[in-house]
Amino acid sequence: MSGATKRRWRDVPLAAVMLGPSLVVLVAFVLYPLGRAVWLGQQRCNVQATKCRSVGWGQYTDVLMSNEFQSAVWVTVKFALITVPVGLALGIGLAVLADKHMRHIGFFRTVFSSTVATSVAVASLMWLFLLQPSVGVLANIGWLNDIFPVIKEPGLLNDKGTALSSVAISSIWANLGFTFIIITAGLQGIPRELQESAFVDGAGGWRRFTNVTLPLLGPTLLFTTVVLTSRAFQAYGEIDLLTNGGPVPQQSTTTVTYLIYGSSSIIKSNEGLKAAVAVLLFVILLGLSALQFRGLGKRVHYGS
Amino acid sequence: MNMRTTKTRKNAAFVALMAIAVSACGGGGGSIVDSGTTEAPATSDGGSSTEAPSTSAAPLSELPPCDPTALDGADGTVELTFWHGMNGELEKSLVALTDEYNASQTKVKISLENQGGYEQTLDKYLQSGSGSLPDLVQAPEYAVQVLNDTDSNVPVGACIEADAYDTSDFQAKALDQYFTEGVQWAMPFNVSDPVLYYNKKAFEAAGLDPETPPTSLEELRTMSQTIVDSGAAAFGLALDTGADSGGGWFLEQWFAKLGEPFSDNDNGRTAPSTKVLFDNQTGVDLLTELQSLVDDGLAYNVGDNASGQDALLKLADPDKPAAMTIATSAALGTVLSVVAAGTIAGVGVNDIGVGPMPGPGGAPGAIVGGASLWIVDNGDAVKTAASWDFVKFLVSAQTQSTWAAATGYVPVRSTALDLDPVKTTYAEDPRFRVAYDQLGEAADSPASVGAILGPQREIRNITAQAIATILQGAQVDTTLKAAANAANSLLADYLASNG
Repeated sequence: MSGATKRRWRDVPLAAVMLGPSLVVLVAFVLYPLGRAVWLGQQRCNVQATKCRSVGWGQYTDVLMSNEFQSAVWVTVKFALITVPVGLALGIGLAVLADKHMRHIGFFRTVFSSTVATSVAVASLMWLFLLQPSVGVLANIGWLNDIFPVIKEPGLLNDKGTALSSVAISSIWANLGFTFIIITAGLQGIPRELQESAFVDGAGGWRRFTNVTLPLLGPTLLFTTVVLTSRAFQAYGEIDLLTNGGPVPQQSTTTVTYLIYGSSSIIKSNEGLKAAVAVLLFVILLGLSALQFRGLGKRVHYGS
Repeated sequence: MNMRTTKTRKNAAFVALMAIAVSACGGGGGSIVDSGTTEAPATSDGGSSTEAPSTSAAPLSELPPCDPTALDGADGTVELTFWHGMNGELEKSLVALTDEYNASQTKVKISLENQGGYEQTLDKYLQSGSGSLPDLVQAPEYAVQVLNDTDSNVPVGACIEADAYDTSDFQAKALDQYFTEGVQWAMPFNVSDPVLYYNKKAFEAAGLDPETPPTSLEELRTMSQTIVDSGAAAFGLALDTGADSGGGWFLEQWFAKLGEPFSDNDNGRTAPSTKVLFDNQTGVDLLTELQSLVDDGLAYNVGDNASGQDALLKLADPDKPAAMTIATSAALGTVLSVVAAGTIAGVGVNDIGVGPMPGPGGAPGAIVGGASLWIVDNGDAVKTAASWDFVKFLVSAQTQSTWAAATGYVPVRSTALDLDPVKTTYAEDPRFRVAYDQLGEAADSPASVGAILGPQREIRNITAQAIATILQGAQVDTTLKAAANAANSLLADYLASNG
């Protein structure tokens, strides 16, 4: 046994003591529940989930192949594809606008970040006042309805074509404060000298934005993208309050999370099927995060 | 070498992910509720009510007992926990009643625990171990079968029998809703039912008598036609397809009104239902009529009613209003205060009319919504007796009078109507009384009480989807048939897991 190996073995007890507590927590609250969920996913249970019987691992394949699950995955992907890029672009835009040294800029920063302090429930109710097709604000602006009759009939939240985008807009709005704050913090971390020397070198405003600001914001943007994506995949409150997963029968806003937990889900009291869907969502999110870190992570400049 | 294995592994992970994505985008499979059911028993194809009950509940004598006298021998105060789902003004009224009870005697002390709503109460109850259950729980009308199957309750019927408690003045329909397989499982507490809301101004403008709203489907059609033709309103009726409103009750309410069974085994009341019957000719005829009301421009479909208010708000549409809609009686207080705020131009509080829910068949009739009180069996005779004492307080004539006047729920017993404050409320504003009156006489058959189904909430979501599809123009019989098949596979799976 070489000295190095010996030394390594000597460290084992200490390492065990140091790692033990977090290992216990990890096993008790992450690995064990995950294992149980995977096992539950091939079972069918009574209403209390006290008596379960296995129906075979084929249940996962069946759930994967089912119309409801596939539709929910597709809805979720669309929801993320709308909320993440638009939310990011608006967040960057507002943050760059507010990143100026001028009087009263604090007022605008407060306004731009105000949605952080708005709960999902309050935000959704406000959007409901705007979007309600009979007495809502938008429904009673004459010229707007002439251009977009869908606002009135059947209503933006009731039309299978516009429901998802409408929920997405409310979600983007609600998350904008968070995106704004994170990106503003990122902007303030960019040294002024770099901007100034780019200016001296003759770079215009847009050139400085694309060649200096954006690359240096890389880590911030990666973080924001990952957070916004996982928020999009976990969106629940706005869907429950605005559409209940509908409009039926297309279930245009039933995301995977809503399929598992929503009040109008037809697997609502079926613990086995819910577990199967949840495990599949976990696998998808795991793959997605890996892709994001692998694909985007490489292009991000973390400084020297 | 090392690099390559990592890369290969990463690629393998990527391929697996793509496989999921591709299969997820690929052609449709079956419904999720049919997943992994290869071992589940096939749906029973008999299904007629003459079939011998497969799983009959034990008679009262074999269920947990109730001894009301046990409370007399208790030393000290019995502390009870009551889980409920009442919010806002409803919770305030419940708290006031509970405080009154706690202050009125020293034997029992009730602690209220608000669980957030019916759904949350039910979910938490089902997921709790027997050690962490409350002593009393308020559960909605669609949870009867589910709670029976938990075997965790003392049926209130046992207490009624042991206490020789007189229920002769109770609303029979309200009691019957919680009566299956010969056992009174729970005590109705807060009862509501769907009623017709209408704009009397529009009726007058159309030359109709504002005091006689439509009660039959034929009247609904002719009056809607008059309203639309006269231009008094753009639509006669605003319909919705929400599972908690239109989509969930048109079929169940109207089958009960016609005295037609909605599911087998006498609506699940002689034994658990194994099959729904709503895709029969009655169902096809009813939904064909509903569909043609929309097609003919007499009714307007507001959709899912996700906000819970869309159908009612259609009455206030400044541009294309409807003259009538059907909504729960529990909304009346809110409707009147919203109208009082001037939401509908030119329409005052007294211009809103309330009538029985229109439907097929003769006399008005409705089945009950709302919730009931369940006594939890924790093996302690004293606690059971104490729970029963509080249940008796909550359904006493005086409490029900106070509760109904404060909330808009209808009293569960007729003697409450002779007592203030509800006596005055009903005399001053008869609109509040409509929901009470339409519950009507005792049901002559289980068919007119409504169905009890294991996965009742999920099946309501299925009928809501079917009604939405039909109101958008789909063929009625095939849509109902598909919905019935989906409901039957939910039932089969439920029975296989809970039987």
